[in-house]
Amino acid sequence: MLFNTPQFFAFLAVVLILFYCAPRSWRRIILLAASYFFYMSWIPKFILLLLTLTVIDYAAARWIARTESPRSRKVALIVSLSANLGLLGFFKYYNFFAANIAHLLDKPENTYAHSIILPLGISFHTFQSMSYVIDVYRREQKPIVNPIDYALFISFFPQLVAGPIVRAREFFADLYHWHAPNSEEVLRGLLLVILGLAKKMVMADQFAQVANTYFKDVTGHPGLLTAWSGVVAFGIQIYFDFSGYTDMAIGMALLLGFHFPVNFRRPYLASSITDFWHRWHMSLSRWLRDYLYIPLGGNRNGRLMTYRNLMLTMLLGGLWHGASWNFVVWGGYHGALLSIERMFGLKRAPEENRWTLLYPLRAILAFALAMFGWVFFRAVNFHDSIYVLDQMFSGQIGSMFLMRWQIDLALITLVLALLEEKLAWFEKLAVGPAWAYGAVCALLLLSVELLGYTEAAVPFVYFQF
Amino acid sequence: MSTVRNPIPAFRRYISSLAPNSVKVFPRILATLVFFAAFEGAVFHTRLYSSIIEPDSTAGAMETQLNNELKRPKPDRNQVLAVGHSRMALLPRIADDMKPSTGYRFASVGIGGTTVRCWYYELRELDPHANRYSAIIIPSDDYNEPDSYENLNDRDLDTRYLIARLKLGDLTEYPQSFDDYKLKWVTFGDILFKGYVYKRDFLDFLSHPEERIAKASLNDRDSHGWYYDYVGPEHSVDGLVIDWQHNIAHYPASFTPEQRKLIEDVLFGPKPRDAGVLTQYLRRWYGRIIDYYRGSGTKLIFLRVPRAPQPPPEHPPKLNSAIRQIASEPDVVVLDEHLFDQLERTDLFADPMHLNGEGMNRFSRILATEVQRVLGPPKS
Repeated sequence: MLFNTPQFFAFLAVVLILFYCAPRSWRRIILLAASYFFYMSWIPKFILLLLTLTVIDYAAARWIARTESPRSRKVALIVSLSANLGLLGFFKYYNFFAANIAHLLDKPENTYAHSIILPLGISFHTFQSMSYVIDVYRREQKPIVNPIDYALFISFFPQLVAGPIVRAREFFADLYHWHAPNSEEVLRGLLLVILGLAKKMVMADQFAQVANTYFKDVTGHPGLLTAWSGVVAFGIQIYFDFSGYTDMAIGMALLLGFHFPVNFRRPYLASSITDFWHRWHMSLSRWLRDYLYIPLGGNRNGRLMTYRNLMLTMLLGGLWHGASWNFVVWGGYHGALLSIERMFGLKRAPEENRWTLLYPLRAILAFALAMFGWVFFRAVNFHDSIYVLDQMFSGQIGSMFLMRWQIDLALITLVLALLEEKLAWFEKLAVGPAWAYGAVCALLLLSVELLGYTEAAVPFVYFQF
Repeated sequence: MSTVRNPIPAFRRYISSLAPNSVKVFPRILATLVFFAAFEGAVFHTRLYSSIIEPDSTAGAMETQLNNELKRPKPDRNQVLAVGHSRMALLPRIADDMKPSTGYRFASVGIGGTTVRCWYYELRELDPHANRYSAIIIPSDDYNEPDSYENLNDRDLDTRYLIARLKLGDLTEYPQSFDDYKLKWVTFGDILFKGYVYKRDFLDFLSHPEERIAKASLNDRDSHGWYYDYVGPEHSVDGLVIDWQHNIAHYPASFTPEQRKLIEDVLFGPKPRDAGVLTQYLRRWYGRIIDYYRGSGTKLIFLRVPRAPQPPPEHPPKLNSAIRQIASEPDVVVLDEHLFDQLERTDLFADPMHLNGEGMNRFSRILATEVQRVLGPPKS
């Protein structure tokens, strides 16, 4: 059940009606039942996996909190992390490692391969549950007593399959001090759901047609302009796909009285790659910082160790996205860029310098660097990645893959994003005049009607991660 | 979310929890709906967008034909209009050349791919008071109406042709004319949200706006002449020999494999057992057209189009076919089904289904004479 289908909106309507009509004591159960129904609408048997991890992590956290013995605490933590990483590793990385071992042993790539279906959202809910158990271990989070509450934290349907990765203390603060959303939150929630739908169907799915055609056969489409249009199309696709999903998730959560963290803040307006990572998939960046980069030592042990930690964090972050060397290279590429920027003091542009003459140049450079990274992310294999990068700098012009209306749409979106960056006009809509809110929502809905890709419901890109 | 002990009925509690919010939320939701409806209504439920629609699209072809016919001067009621699909071979210029003897002016809005359902809605647009024409000519492929594998009730392509002409008032009836439950809802949505149906055309327009506007305007200005002066294709399938008994065709050496395949598909393709589905469909839509013109004085003339480049074998007449049943209705004239048999010749067909220029020429002359015979002298 994808967010961009009529079935999902019918499901959401039913959940909202049941949620608000039911006595308060039933509401958590309604949300949990709805979340499990949502999860099981994909492949029902995987609910056992979700339940197993829920039970293990719930029990491990309780055990950690109950005992004072450092050894027992550590054992419980290791059991929990092993369960999460073990299942994640098996489902997501088994075939990757099997193929590499086969390659090392000079055997056919699929010698040890098995047909494994990746359970929906496993990368997200395992990270969320690991952060909870680690926080309990660090005594930063009290263990949750009610198993229904904990199960809801892991399976809450708006963010179950692709985030944002919510911290336990944020979620339970909302759950235990729940209040009905006020009018501003309702309006903001509705606006975000509509905006997310428009981002997905109008931008992501339409540009995906270009990116898919190009990356399906890169050697069949030579030329500089062709390569750039294919890569930029994918850059637009993945941003609007993921941020569209996140907007819908945040909007739906708001309608249910929950407050998710912001996950994207116009990353293609970043003035450096460091700035980019402060704006892109912010909940993952925060997770990697708090549970990987800082435990590795962060920037506390000198410059070389800082670069090493950055590289390790980004390499693992890359691998988190998918079981392929391409993702590792993508992570390593970003790790290297972050290290270089740190080395030369080129991190984020100070806010007060944002609108200087230098900013456009820095933003264009950061955008181009991000695009080069997407080549590794999207290309079918490493060989294709190198070919695409070569074409992006080759002498042949090639042909423009993007249609005129797509270029116009991208430029309009850029202008709107710049205005939002400067004036935060979109943020103010929910409290602005009714006509402005109505006009923007109507325009977004019209864009879905007229420009949205509706040949088929296209799955969200991050569902596969 | 602590437990509430006071068991107030859930719905009342829900309403009371909404009350403080409703002041600000509902005007904004209302504003959204008003803006959306205003834009959708102003652009797609008026002639605004259809005036720049791609002329070569399904809806564009329909709009071109209807607009040309609506603009054509009609100084009196001695006008004869032919509706139909691509096999409606009337060339109005040829028929008009016979005006000194027939007394009638002819027009055709035959559009390839359209069906009787489309023709009903075309006539409603072209003749809103059922008083513009002396006669309407309606083609039939076969008076026996054998079923095909396509259920015309569920031909959603009809909506693509008619989209610019369907009105909100059609929401109750047009979707109901589909058999498939899902298609009923899809069509309902299509009429309500026309922009969704125009999506491809709209994206194409955004890609080449200047060219589109220029093309639409040229089409609007000149297409009547293009259609009126159309003379039909020159080539024929001469040399083709059809063995109907064994469903085999013998081709001249000049025929390409594509032509051969087309002929075999059209003439010898598999046919389902006749369960009367087409007859039921035709009964409904012929009935709608007859009802529309009932008592108006307009004659409805039904004819069987030339069927194939060589006369196919005759089957016993299906007495309960829709066309044979309506023949007894007042102001309905069903022409002799063999009237055009003389045109079922390989030198007069351009392909297995369509007459060529010479065939269309002869068809138009025969038809004009027959119409004059049926209608009698024109009214002054």
